[in-house]
Amino acid sequence: MEAGLAVRAREGDRVAFGDLVERYADQARRVARAVLQDPDDADDAAQDAFLAALVKLHQYDVRRPFGPWLMRIVANAATDRRRRRTVRRADLLEEGLVAGGARPDVVAEQAALNGRLREALAQLPPRRSLAVTLFDVEGYSHAEIAEMLGIPEGTVRSEVFHARRRLRTLLADWRQDG
Amino acid sequence: MTTPLTPFDHRPDPVLGAALREALQPREGEGAAFRSRVLAAAKRAPVPVVDVLARWSRVGIAAAIVAALAAGVVVGRGALRAEPAVAESDPNAMIAGVQAPDANILLTGYTER
Repeated sequence: MEAGLAVRAREGDRVAFGDLVERYADQARRVARAVLQDPDDADDAAQDAFLAALVKLHQYDVRRPFGPWLMRIVANAATDRRRRRTVRRADLLEEGLVAGGARPDVVAEQAALNGRLREALAQLPPRRSLAVTLFDVEGYSHAEIAEMLGIPEGTVRSEVFHARRRLRTLLADWRQDG
Repeated sequence: MTTPLTPFDHRPDPVLGAALREALQPREGEGAAFRSRVLAAAKRAPVPVVDVLARWSRVGIAAAIVAALAAGVVVGRGALRAEPAVAESDPNAMIAGVQAPDANILLTGYTER
């Protein structure tokens, strides 16, 4: 099904390309946000990834699932953009933003937690943020993530482990504070 | 309840996964705008060169087949209209036409001198 859409998109069918965008837009944006804290930056990266995918569709092997192929492009686009933004975002890398801070208003609790999780993800090395997001949020296997990120499967496991340790600590602290 | 914290854990963590999904999920209503933006950019994006070449090659092959068929028809009709070349080289005709040369003709010039 997706392979058929990809083939049609490759032949210039923009409706088929639109269907692929429809299916993967949310996932691509979430993965980009795991690496880029700024939502506008993340959306720019996700858009860049879709356009790059359109241009590179002739390289896509239709016998394989489309999602991992696209997410690899998204991961690269987001990582490249984060690399370029590193200097600008240096002020956000202070530990205090994640571990401390005033108790938020109860009504805005969920929003505040979301913000802290995003900040925590942004503090992680990009590969670690991507690994935990692709595994725990998007449900890809270690093997698929290894192929997407171009690293051994064991390294993916390690990255997920370290990311979880950091994020679970944050979640636990948040619940205790609450 | 989260899953045990071990690098060998092969199962997704549903609690952490849900919290991260919530944190990373774009706001409602932004999805349509994003998709429109991507599709508008895709319209402006150049069509991949490989695709253009592939399309050209398909058209070229089809044109070559049509041209070859047309040429075949023309040549075939021309061959049918022309007299068979075999008639000119019919061995029976050649043998039948062979006659002994007239001695008078051969000797005329010589005898006139």
